[in-house]
Amino acid sequence: MTIWTPTDDGYADLASHDTFMQGAPHNTFARLRAEDPLHWSDWSGGKGFWSITRHADILELNRQPDLMSSAYGIRMEDQTYEEYLARRTFQETDPPLHSQTRMKVAKAFSKPVVAGFEDLIRELCHDILDEALDHGTFDATRLIARQLPMRMLGRIIGTPDEDLPWLVEKGDALIANTDPDFTDHVLDRMTTDQYRLMPFNSPAGAELYDYAKTLMLDKAAKGDTNGVLHLILQPGPDGSVISETEFRNFFCLLVAAGNDTTRYSIAAGIHAMLHQPELLAQMQSGQVWETAPDEIIRWATPAIYFRRTATRDHEMHGKTIREGDKVLYWFLSGNRDETAFDDPMRVDLARTPNRHLSFGQGGPHLCLGMHLARLEVRVLFQEFSKRLKSIEPAGPHAFLRSNFVGGIKSLPVTTTRA
Amino acid sequence: MKATWILADGREMTLEVPAGRSLMEVAQAASVPGIIGECGGTMSCATCHVQVDEAWRGLVGGPSDFEDAMLDTVDAPRTDASRLSCQIEMRADLDGVVVRVPA
Repeated sequence: MTIWTPTDDGYADLASHDTFMQGAPHNTFARLRAEDPLHWSDWSGGKGFWSITRHADILELNRQPDLMSSAYGIRMEDQTYEEYLARRTFQETDPPLHSQTRMKVAKAFSKPVVAGFEDLIRELCHDILDEALDHGTFDATRLIARQLPMRMLGRIIGTPDEDLPWLVEKGDALIANTDPDFTDHVLDRMTTDQYRLMPFNSPAGAELYDYAKTLMLDKAAKGDTNGVLHLILQPGPDGSVISETEFRNFFCLLVAAGNDTTRYSIAAGIHAMLHQPELLAQMQSGQVWETAPDEIIRWATPAIYFRRTATRDHEMHGKTIREGDKVLYWFLSGNRDETAFDDPMRVDLARTPNRHLSFGQGGPHLCLGMHLARLEVRVLFQEFSKRLKSIEPAGPHAFLRSNFVGGIKSLPVTTTRA
Repeated sequence: MKATWILADGREMTLEVPAGRSLMEVAQAASVPGIIGECGGTMSCATCHVQVDEAWRGLVGGPSDFEDAMLDTVDAPRTDASRLSCQIEMRADLDGVVVRVPA
């Protein structure tokens, strides 16, 4: 299998979503880390941008939100101020504003609270895996990876199970808004600007918003205060409450970001099992569960990059980032940095330490759901490996068309039960 | 200047901490067990939880509002001595400070 050998020529266009349909351009990232660690790209879709590709550089900048702001957008697309205000979530704010929102929901996603979900996750895994493995040959993204985070989402936000497929479809339309398999409104091919004030520049955002409003009215009528949506609506210590627009965007963020990232981590883990057959036995040994989830999540890096904007001129690697310049932290590249990881292009389930950047480590926007993601990944692979005698590819897999979300959107496998 | 970490298993680690550096940064660089510090000292992860030794609590002081909220999310139980060590910066009067890393 040549799957671990990237095929790009070292000069891939990082701004092109098509580039990532062949898998990530790791030869390009490796060249940039070695030769041009602060790399400028002109871009036909808007203002050009800087790329940060080294692990150490990402960590160094990420802890300085006063220098590298999130408050001008976090994807490479340029936004007007009007669009920014209409579409921002707390991902697109800096401390202390970011902290004010985060503190309302941090406890709901804390490690001890999330640990309470383990039995439920295991039950969900029983259902999902028994059903999938009955097929023998099946799409592992659709029947396994997509299922667990989707069903957990319902528990986190407190929605009925029958609504979940619709919610996830809309969430996909938002975050995978550059892949025609997931949306009719492909971001870089859009000919209208009528959705520009909606979350993720997508009409799905408006539909989700209507759903959230109805859901909250229903919950209020029943006196139901379960789930994180209730928490986000509570006043902060200074009495401030979030606006309706912010609530809409937070809901969309939960549905979108809390879902596909874990899905694509699971898919990447299963994909790794196909090409490194020793992983199954290592999982079955039961010795790797402390470390395996982080390694699978490093390997997957579903959030390929996040963008920041320089608030002042900054010298780095002999060049000057100018105030207002867009700066992209390529977490995917940092997670393959040979100076931070031994043999970074292999999955080592026992990897210790594992200072990967998949959750945006090193900065204030560290993934809110990271404890839940790790738990879901651990339990899923514990239960999956337990049931397997073997797993093999059953045809070509396909990557998402996106330079922002990295994922295997279809992954045909053939399994034999243990 | 120095600080001492009393680990969950009772062992002690004493490390040099330059003025202005946080206890978390130094502990992370030295791989002090139990101090992870995933958010780079921005109070977003609560994985650098320490309990300040009784004798030092007055000098170290209490948490800010946001730190206080984040202390509600720590893995080990919170006590009155709990702080996020990314928010404790070394200064002259803290030379010799002692903190415990909870189990």
